Amino acid sequence: MDPLIKQILFALLTIFIVLNYGLIVQGIVRKIGARVGRRYGIPFYQPYIDIIKNYSKRTRISHGIMYYIAPVFRLTGGIGLLLFIPVIFGNNMFQNFSFSGDLLLILYFQFFGVLGMALGAAESGHPNSAIGVSRGLSQVTAYELPLTLGVLSLAVQYNTLNVSEIVAAQQGGILNWSFFTNPLASIALLLAFLAAMGRSPFDVVLAPQEIPIGPPTEFHSGFLGVLQLNRAIFPIAKLILFMNLLFGGATNWGELIIKTFFIYMWSVFVGVAFPRFRVDQSVRWYLGVPLIIGVAAVVVSKFF
Amino acid sequence: MVDPIYIVAVLLGISFSLGFIGKKSENIAGILSLLALGFTTLVSAQWFYNFVTADIETYHIFTTAFKPPFSINLMMGKEEALFTMMINAIGLFGGLYMFDRLKAAGKNSFIALLMLIMGLNVVVMTRDLFNLFVFLEISSIAVAGLIVLTQNTKSISAGFKFMIATGIISGLLLLGIAFIYNYAGSLNIDHILTQNLEAAKGLSIAIFFLMIAIVLEMKPFPANGWGLDVYSSAESGVSSLLSSAYATATVFVLMKLLPFAPENLQFLIAAIGIITFVFSNLMGMRQDNPNRMLGYSSISQIGLLAAVIGISSVIGEYTYFIVISILISHFLAKSGLFWIAGIVKQESIKNWSVLRSNKLLLVLFGVFIFALTGLPPFPGFFGKWELVMHLAETKNFIWIFAVLIGSFFEVVYMFRWLGYAVKNDIIIETKLKAKIHQIIPLLLFAAAAFGAGYYVSSEHPYASLINYLPLAVALGFAFIEFLPVFIKNTLAIAAMAAYFYFNYESYNELQVIFAAIFIIGGILTLIAGYAYKGKRQGFYPFALMMFAGLIGLVEATTTLEFFFAWELMTIGSYFLILRGKKSIKHALSYILFSIGGAYLILAGFGLAAIGKPDISIGILSNIELYAPWIFGLLAIGFMTKTASIGLHIWLPGAHAEAEADVSPMVSAILLKAGVFGLIMLFLAMGEQFIGNISFAYILSWVGVITALMGNMMAAFQEDAKRLLAYSSIGALGYVLFGLSLMSHLGWLTAISFSVTHFMFKALLFLAIGGVVWRLKTKDMYKMGGLIKKMPFSFISVLIGIIVLAGVPPLTGFAGKWLFFQAVVEKQWFLQGAVLFFSGIIAFLYCFRLIHSIFLGQPKDEHRNVKEAPFWILVPQYAILMVIMLFSMLPNSLLKPIGDMLMPYFPDGAITWDGQMATTALGYWNGKTVMFIVVGVFAIVFGWLVFMNRNAKKVKQFNIGYAAERPFLPETTHYAFNFFAPYKKAIGFLVAPGITNFWHRVDEGAHSVSDKFTKIYNGNAQSYLIHIVAFILVIYLISFGGF
Repeated sequence: MDPLIKQILFALLTIFIVLNYGLIVQGIVRKIGARVGRRYGIPFYQPYIDIIKNYSKRTRISHGIMYYIAPVFRLTGGIGLLLFIPVIFGNNMFQNFSFSGDLLLILYFQFFGVLGMALGAAESGHPNSAIGVSRGLSQVTAYELPLTLGVLSLAVQYNTLNVSEIVAAQQGGILNWSFFTNPLASIALLLAFLAAMGRSPFDVVLAPQEIPIGPPTEFHSGFLGVLQLNRAIFPIAKLILFMNLLFGGATNWGELIIKTFFIYMWSVFVGVAFPRFRVDQSVRWYLGVPLIIGVAAVVVSKFF
Repeated sequence: MVDPIYIVAVLLGISFSLGFIGKKSENIAGILSLLALGFTTLVSAQWFYNFVTADIETYHIFTTAFKPPFSINLMMGKEEALFTMMINAIGLFGGLYMFDRLKAAGKNSFIALLMLIMGLNVVVMTRDLFNLFVFLEISSIAVAGLIVLTQNTKSISAGFKFMIATGIISGLLLLGIAFIYNYAGSLNIDHILTQNLEAAKGLSIAIFFLMIAIVLEMKPFPANGWGLDVYSSAESGVSSLLSSAYATATVFVLMKLLPFAPENLQFLIAAIGIITFVFSNLMGMRQDNPNRMLGYSSISQIGLLAAVIGISSVIGEYTYFIVISILISHFLAKSGLFWIAGIVKQESIKNWSVLRSNKLLLVLFGVFIFALTGLPPFPGFFGKWELVMHLAETKNFIWIFAVLIGSFFEVVYMFRWLGYAVKNDIIIETKLKAKIHQIIPLLLFAAAAFGAGYYVSSEHPYASLINYLPLAVALGFAFIEFLPVFIKNTLAIAAMAAYFYFNYESYNELQVIFAAIFIIGGILTLIAGYAYKGKRQGFYPFALMMFAGLIGLVEATTTLEFFFAWELMTIGSYFLILRGKKSIKHALSYILFSIGGAYLILAGFGLAAIGKPDISIGILSNIELYAPWIFGLLAIGFMTKTASIGLHIWLPGAHAEAEADVSPMVSAILLKAGVFGLIMLFLAMGEQFIGNISFAYILSWVGVITALMGNMMAAFQEDAKRLLAYSSIGALGYVLFGLSLMSHLGWLTAISFSVTHFMFKALLFLAIGGVVWRLKTKDMYKMGGLIKKMPFSFISVLIGIIVLAGVPPLTGFAGKWLFFQAVVEKQWFLQGAVLFFSGIIAFLYCFRLIHSIFLGQPKDEHRNVKEAPFWILVPQYAILMVIMLFSMLPNSLLKPIGDMLMPYFPDGAITWDGQMATTALGYWNGKTVMFIVVGVFAIVFGWLVFMNRNAKKVKQFNIGYAAERPFLPETTHYAFNFFAPYKKAIGFLVAPGITNFWHRVDEGAHSVSDKFTKIYNGNAQSYLIHIVAFILVIYLISFGGF
């Protein structure tokens, strides 16, 4: 078989697995949240029902071209990000398209969908959407700082920006994970990770009870369906990235699912324990302790 | 040739014969006087011409049968010919200018004029001390007569003060001469100088009296209140005579008598001169009355000349060149400005907006201001250059500082004045009419200023190498101003294209890149000019002058050419910026920062040339002395243009207020001049250290802080063009940081980013310019929902911000990727993190720009808005195509630049395999990223279209809104103070600390100026005390009393 076609087929397989995993884990997390709140909660397959429902809606309206293609931007961003990350260590096929670029491509590509979505949300003309975007962008700038410092610290540690090489360097035992070899960078990254997942206390962007889900307010039917697909894929792609950077990657899908599930739980636990920050609070918070830890991580890895 | 004695004879003869003319025949008297002055001007001119062309011998005139020292003799040499020519010319044209006034005052005023000019001629030519005294007296009495031409209390009291002051001065002079005669037994200058008089004990006192009298004639600070009062209260024409004729003669006398003075007295004179220069200019800043301001300026210029003459033993043979070039500039410009002031007749410079009613006068006014402040192509420019070069060569650094700071003060008030004239809002409903006899002298003097500039530069060994062709073309456009825009624009584009086509082969790669940014970029932005209707007067000469300067920078082979081009570019861009709305303040701060930066560059070049045989640019690469200083001066000079933090406050206003096509010119193109300077500097000088801290390291922090602050300020702007202007500051911070990395990758980033920045910033400024063109507002929150009205502009802005934000797959990402490879390689992580942070902040303002203008709710008043003008869209789409090409094939941009950098930074280059770029740390394939993104996008889009094929378009306000119905776009479009929470969180970082700092500097300088001005209280007694105290202090200094 043509290697390119084979690669594409494996990419589709990756997307399929990640999509289903994402939807299921979403359901489970909501269930956990409900139980913590002493509610019965939804069935774990509820996200599937939602997607089917959305695609079957008959009323479909459009606010204009940017609005129309915003979900496309969003999902392309999610899928693209997933495809640029090497997923299974040691498996050539599940490296997908990570030969296109290194960690920097990944870090910048995550904004592709976000910004595209922001444009569509803005065209919908709903003030809550614009407010959500304003909040989201503000918060992004803040948590990117510890994130960058953590990544730079890892880059010095391993002297590369190639994700596969970073994973390779962590093989051979739990203690080789960056989480143990570079704890400062790991803390900085895991703190930044909280806001990257957009869960409480950093969920001002969607802020359900305040600016009814912010940017996607006006999206419905198939548009919302596409966004929901992304909401399954995008977080998992990020989880895989963090797993690769800090927890030694995964050599098979089982390992991947276990590791990413626990990383996800970190943000879930924090989320159910802490109430929402205002934007200015979360911005200031990230420019405080996480920033200092990030700077310390860089300084330590540069000079020691 | 006509014997020079006829100068005296004719002037004297005519003025005597005027006495015989009847009382009612003032016309005849006037015409006779002018004829006489015309004759004497011709005589001197003829002598000067022969001295220059035929190199004839100096001519001596003996008045009696006896030879000197027993008789009075006059001399006509090259210098005398030039000075008498100047004096006679100002007599002639000043007389012509004042013809009406003199006629009205009666024929005696013509006699006074003739006597003044005659006296000054003899003062210049005579070789006899007593004769000098007599004719100085004659001249000053004549001046006093002219001062009281205007009969009011002010002028009469000024005349009185003038008489008292000159009385004291002549008393001193006479004392000095008498003593000298006592010791030397002669009054003949040459004869006295041949004697060995060192032995004579009391002679030094005699010489002191002689010299102090001459110095006092030059109105030294602070003993010059009487002179200022004369300037401010006399008729403008008389002031011009005083400033241009009388002062010119005193300068010559100082030159003539200088050999008398012992060395320490010479230096003292120089010190008095330079102090006068600095303080008069400082006080000039506080003036509101044009005549008094010009008085300060006159006094300061003469002070500068006294300083140069005083240190002639240090400067050497070039003294004459420097004195002449500064003097001629002053002579022509000051007469011109006084004359214009006489026509305008406004007591406050704020009211000079009235000058706009007469375009010709306005242009002349500009020419004279530029000539006076020593900008190219006028002679003062070359004089100042040589002066600084020689001061540096002899290591008189404090002098350089004094000369430059004094000149800077002068620039402050002269350009404020110019700004008021060109742009001030005060409307005065009078149409200025100048009579023909007033216009002719002005025109001739302005032409002479250009001619003198050309002459002076042809005398200079390096100035003659300057390529004047681009400047000539630019000035040529001034003569076709009557043509419509379409023709002029086509001609301008053709001229630039032709220039590039015929020259690009002679450039090296670096030159080609910058020449392309400057010229091709220039052509692209000029295309937008087709959108303008009418004549668009005053645009093309200056736009082309700016481009001429820019291309001159690229082509420069000597530091002088570079500096010349730098100043030229500054002038051109100053006027372009001044064209904008509400631009007075911004244009002034632009020109001040630019000139300040230019002076630092001048000083840097001066230091660099120490001990070097020539002034080629190459001298920068082997500097032994003061290398860190040179580097620092030049770097800061260039950073005024790249608007690095601390030096950036001129930029936002200047770029934001400019016209639609001027903003991209000054923002996308002009700023690169600073980048080019920095590149040249780094390539030549490499890394420099202060102590053991590298300059590059300091600059890296300056760069990242500039990037951070620029971007953060941009995020908080309400004005779209201001937002883009701040964004330019940030972008240039990136470039500065890239250069400071001093590595292959760093430079590759900086240079490729310069190109990319040109593209996206030109794109954005043009697109926003087009929007502003239609909407007539720059405030973003007043717009909204324009995507449907202006889809083409929207696409431009969309692509522009994606490139700006550096999001893959477009070419902007190449810059980000390279930056971080370079940062990790260099291990400057903290800077890298701040840079990344500022890059993310760029998302903030990018989104705000597109959202507030094109998305959200359209406003009612914009329902019928049309797409931006076609010609503004054309260059945008040309740029868009190039962006797409570079995005698909990144190596078409990066590889040539990388190859170019190989000789300078051979290590750490990118390895290319097709479009796959690999460095020691990472890799990136622009083409596959593009394919994957486009592929996934297409599939998802297809899926969505399939699912939503029957989606209905809905009208405005059809949005899910709880409980209430939105009906006003103003209240529904969330746009004003868009990042309010962000401002709350970290807005304190962008408090205007630096702007406040510069404001305080400004206020401080003005209040110091004010304090000093207080000593001139207008009281004759105080002025006398000043003079006497001045003499006493100088006496004590020179004879060791202190």
